[in-house]
Formats: sequence, C-alpha cells, structure tokens
Amino acid sequence: MDDKSKKLAPAELNRRKFLMNSMGLVGGAAVAKTAMAEEAFLPPAVPSWTRSLGPGVLTNPYGQPSKFEAHVQRRNVEWLTADKIASISFTPLADLKGIITPSGLVFERYHAGIPEIDPSKHRLMIHGMVSNPIILTMDDLMRFPSVSRIRFLECPANGGMEWRGAQMEGVQFTHGMLSCCEWTGVLLSTILEEVGVDPRASWILAEGADGSHMSRSIPMEKALDDAMIVYAQNGEMLRPEQGYPVRLINPGWEGNTCVKWLRRLEIGDKPWYHREETSKYTDLLADGRAREFTYEQECNSVITSPSPEKPLSGKGKGKGKYWVEGLAWSGRGRIKHVDISFDGGVSWREAKFTSVVEPKSLTRFGIEWDWDGSPAMLQSRSVDETGYVQPTYAQLRAARGTNSIYHKNAIHTWKVNADGSVSNVQIS
Amino acid sequence: MQMAVCPMFRLASFLFLMSSLSVSAEPGYYGYGKPASAEEVAGWDIDVRPDGLGLPDGSGSVEDGEWIYEEQCAECHGSFGEGVGRYPALAGGEGTLTDDRPHRTVGSYWPHASTLWDYIHRAMPYTAPESLEDDEVYALTAYVLYLNDLVEDDFVLDRESFKDVVLPNNRSFFRDDRPDTSNTRCMENCKDPSSIVITSMVAAPPPVQAAPEPVAVANETGLATYRKACALCHDGGIGGAPTLGDAEAWAQRQKKGISTLMANAINGFQGEDGVMPPKGGFLALSNEEVEAAVNYMLEQN
Repeated sequence: MDDKSKKLAPAELNRRKFLMNSMGLVGGAAVAKTAMAEEAFLPPAVPSWTRSLGPGVLTNPYGQPSKFEAHVQRRNVEWLTADKIASISFTPLADLKGIITPSGLVFERYHAGIPEIDPSKHRLMIHGMVSNPIILTMDDLMRFPSVSRIRFLECPANGGMEWRGAQMEGVQFTHGMLSCCEWTGVLLSTILEEVGVDPRASWILAEGADGSHMSRSIPMEKALDDAMIVYAQNGEMLRPEQGYPVRLINPGWEGNTCVKWLRRLEIGDKPWYHREETSKYTDLLADGRAREFTYEQECNSVITSPSPEKPLSGKGKGKGKYWVEGLAWSGRGRIKHVDISFDGGVSWREAKFTSVVEPKSLTRFGIEWDWDGSPAMLQSRSVDETGYVQPTYAQLRAARGTNSIYHKNAIHTWKVNADGSVSNVQIS
Repeated sequence: MQMAVCPMFRLASFLFLMSSLSVSAEPGYYGYGKPASAEEVAGWDIDVRPDGLGLPDGSGSVEDGEWIYEEQCAECHGSFGEGVGRYPALAGGEGTLTDDRPHRTVGSYWPHASTLWDYIHRAMPYTAPESLEDDEVYALTAYVLYLNDLVEDDFVLDRESFKDVVLPNNRSFFRDDRPDTSNTRCMENCKDPSSIVITSMVAAPPPVQAAPEPVAVANETGLATYRKACALCHDGGIGGAPTLGDAEAWAQRQKKGISTLMANAINGFQGEDGVMPPKGGFLALSNEEVEAAVNYMLEQN
C-alpha cells in the first residue's frame, strides 16, 4: 500500500499535473468509486472494513499518513532553479489544518543538498571574541536548559514570483515557502553566557556543515533576544531536511538566517557580508540602491480555503455557506486583526482566530461566508501588534519597484469564478 | 569543568539576563563540552570579511585563474562568466540595476570582493566544495574580477593587492529601514467598486478529474539514486554528461562493455566529452546503488 503512494511522488511531473492529480484524488476518485458501488458501503449497507479485522500494532512502527492523503506533498517549481540540489520545495498549505506544519511537509531549501550527519560525529564550535572557545557534542548541547516555542519559518523569497503579476497556480506556490513548528533547543543567549562574550563583540557568524557551508551574520542583539539553537521540532529530533542534528532559529526572521546543520558560531565585531547577505537576500529598489540585512518577515496573510486547490466546485458544492479560512503571521510579534474582503477590497469584515495566537507564529483565522454563486474577489489583510497593516500591491510597488525578489507581503486576491473554480489574480 | 550550583549565583545570573544589559560575566557556569584549541579552530575558521580579516597567505594571478576557471567553473558559469542555463552569471550587467530586468553579477551588484574569495573557498566548485588550494582561490578570484574588467590581465591577487580592489556597486547598499509602507485599516467604502480592474490572472486549475493510475517503476533504487546523485548533470548534460534518454550518447558508452561502464561510474572517468566524478561525487553511495542508477539511465533509452 505504501509503495503505491510512493509512486505518486510528483518530483518528475510538471506543476500543472501535480495540481490536477492532487485535486483528482480529492474529488474525482471518490466520485467514480461512489458511482460504481455505492450500495456496497453506504447506509443501509455495512462496509467491508466494518465487518473484518485490520492490521495489528507495529504494522508501521513509525506511522505514516493514510494512503488516501498521498496527494498532500511538498512540490517544487522546476523552472525556478538550475537543479534540485540547490533548490526549494513548497508546503501544501491548502491541505493543512491548525498552525503546526507536520515535520515531513516543512518546505525545503538547500544550497548543497541534505548532508547525512551522524549526530555522534557532529560538533558545534563556538569561538572568536569569547573568553572560553568551546566545542560541543550533541550530548553536551542537550544538557543545557531547554525551551520549546511555536514559531513560523518563512523563506524571504516566499511569493517572490508574484512581484510583477499573478504567476503561480495555487497557494502552495504563491505562499508555500512557509511553515510553523514547535522548536525545542537552547536559547543562544545561554550558550553566549557560557562562552563569555567580549563586550566589544556585536555580530555572530552562523555556519552550516553542509557542502555550501551556508553562512549568515547575525546581530548580537537578536542573539541575546530570542535566537534558539534547536535540535527538535514537533516533539522529535529535527528532520534531516531541517538541519539534523542542530540548526539555528531566529524567530520572525528570514528563513535563510536560520542556518541548518549548524557547525560553527564565530563571535566578532563586524558583519561578514557573505554571499547570502550580498549577492542574495538583499532587496534591490527601483532607484538601483539595495537594502541589506532585511531580516524581519513583515506581517502577511493568505486565504487557504477557498483557493485554487480548494475550489467551491464539485459534487455537493455551488452557492451556499462556506467556512473561509487561512493563515496570518508577523515577524514583529502577534497578529492583532485579520480582515476579509469578498468584493476586492471595497468592504471588510473581521475574521475570528481559531488557533492560539503566539508571537512570530502562524495564526489561523476563519470567517463564515454565504456565497451567492456570482464571481467574487476574496482578500485577507492582517494587522500585527505593532499596528502595521499588511500593504496593497500598489503600496508595496510604490515603495520598492518590482525587482526586490524578497519580502513580498502584499494583500493577495483569489477570484472565485461562477463555476466555483478559483483563480490567482491581481487587481487595481 | 562543572561549577558548584549556587542558588544566589543562579538568581543573579537570571536577573542579569532579564535586564538584557549584556551577556553574563560568568562564563563556564555549566562547563559542558571541551575547550576549542587553536588548531581545531583553524581547521574550520574559513570566513573572510570585507576588511580582509581571514585571508590566508598566498596569491594567484589572472593568468593562472583562467586555466582553473575553464577546468572547474566554465561548465556552469560560462567561459565569459555569462552563466549557463539557470546557473549564475558572474560578469556583465554594469549599469542595469535600474532597468526593467536588472542583471545582477559580481561586477554590477556585489558590494565586496571578499565575498568572492570567501564563497569560492567555502562552496565551490559546486560538486567538490573546499577542494581548491588557497592559491587557486586567489587566482579564481582574480580571474572573475578580470572577467568584470575590474583588474588588468597581469593582476596578481594577494592579501596586499586585495586592499586596492573596490567593487563598483559598493556604495549602493543601506541598512534595513522598513517599514516602508503605511496601509490603513479601512472597513467600509474603501475604494470605488467600478475602479477595480484585473491587472493579471492565472487561469484556474483544470476541472476535477479522476487521478491517473500510478506508473509502475521497476528499478526503484536506480530511480532514487538517479534523482539524488545523477540528475544534477545527466538531466541537462552538464559537464559533457550523456543526457537521460539520449540513446545515441548512451550507445557510445555501452560500446565499451557494461562492466567498463559500471566501473567508470564507480571509480570516475575522464572522457573526451567531459568528466565523470567517482560515483558522481556522492561517495556515500554503495556500488550497488550506482549500478542500479546506471541501469535506470540505460532503461530510459
């Protein structure tokens, strides 16, 4: 059974096929089967699984999702990168519930593929402007006092393909460089206290043990505020894709700064201006200047249902009452309000929060909508606790042009068509 | 060494952190781990800063760099630094940053030459990072600067001459000053409904239909290994690699006999068309996995 679901792995298929397949599995397959043998399992008949035994314990010593959920997968966009070793995949936001992203569905970003690291052979070196340069094993690291926090992780390029206009077919691709986990580890401030930081130090270089030796400069202020060295996510050790055995998490900041497979922290007095903070992850403006060290992920939101992946078409749908829901997040703190428009931004109604509201975490919102069956323009607009209101495309483009690549957090529009299908659009 | 746990010390340390004044002045409280020796640090401390801190002894010329570049870099970055396919361009693009389609390269966009030395040393060549000697990194850095018309063809880069290299776009970067937008939380009559125009649109995904039956894959190990290790070059023909499904190119290789083909895949091979690194550079693969991958590639012809 598991083999069959593996064969559905979409890596070699194109993006359009993914979407067709995934939606087909949700609706079409079920419809076909229903027509074939409805009497066999619907009341008053009793289905076969209610009249027999199933497999016993330890059939799957490490449990897997139901085979009927095989369409819920990370996917990539082939034309985005030269190959899959230095590339990115997207989280299937439309199929997720609550605010926690299952570990196996957290979006991936590698610069030299996933290194295979035996934790007993991994070391974390902390040195530079410190009184006690040290080397820690994973056992050493896990002896320190630990904390667990629910925080989102977002690539600053999330939505970057939409700067010039609507381009991607579904919410997985417009917003899926986004995940949220409970992260467990040691506060970086605890480690810095232990090594004794020179008072003149102001920056930290974080470096990975992968082939790219991914490196970013982190200001001391963030390190002492809420940066975490984490070894676990969602209750278990990190997945290899997420930096096993240890990574940095800078809550609310660019995912790229959350260096995976962390091997080294060097304490210094200036930033290093490495490739990922000069050539990449700087924001080019219309006048030719560029912002550097744009760490914070500003307040953002998106409706995940309805969406191109969750249309209002198909058996039993059409006009009527719908629960419209989605996700909001801010790198500057808690979400304060999420407002929803069904008329392209003319009027707005405030949505409810249906999850806990943690700082720098995904927050789920929902609102009831009575669809009259005519075309509609759905938008969500979030406000964070600093009072910042998610901008429109016009405001964002007026401030930055269209060549910034990163940090696109504009209000997104889904057009619900009369047939219930949903299109990605941008409007004036 | 672990220190005795003193409640007063803990309280003091806690209050100190709470006040966020600075890091505690009591290092070594837990005593976990081992001291990092100078020798251990030297092996991993590879970073270079714009002020030159971290640059090692050594030097390299534009002339030497050209040979190394052609051998190690041109396959992906192009002989003139123009970039091949989706791999990054390294040169050109001067004066395009305000264009509709800016062309960001070392010469047109990067602020610091140190980044070039650091990145080549830490991450290049793509399939064999940290394999270059320091002198080779100096030479390649010099050559990429030359490709950008930033140094003459007789230039030799070392720690001293590095100080004179200033990249043209050095002064165009500024620190984050966001937020740079100020939307308001309007709830009613926020705009004229008749003013709303769709400016761009992606067609809705096709209507729901039955899922196709999954296609059986006979050689799963081969497919998995291919995706992990081989596709990088064999998908697009990087490095002279025969492309998946190019029956003619594969037939040429098969002429040598299947055992030779397998041995070349496992041990590496320098052919007329290009280089096959041992196990494609993925040395953790077993011989059986490599053979399964070769069989998979042959099955696609």
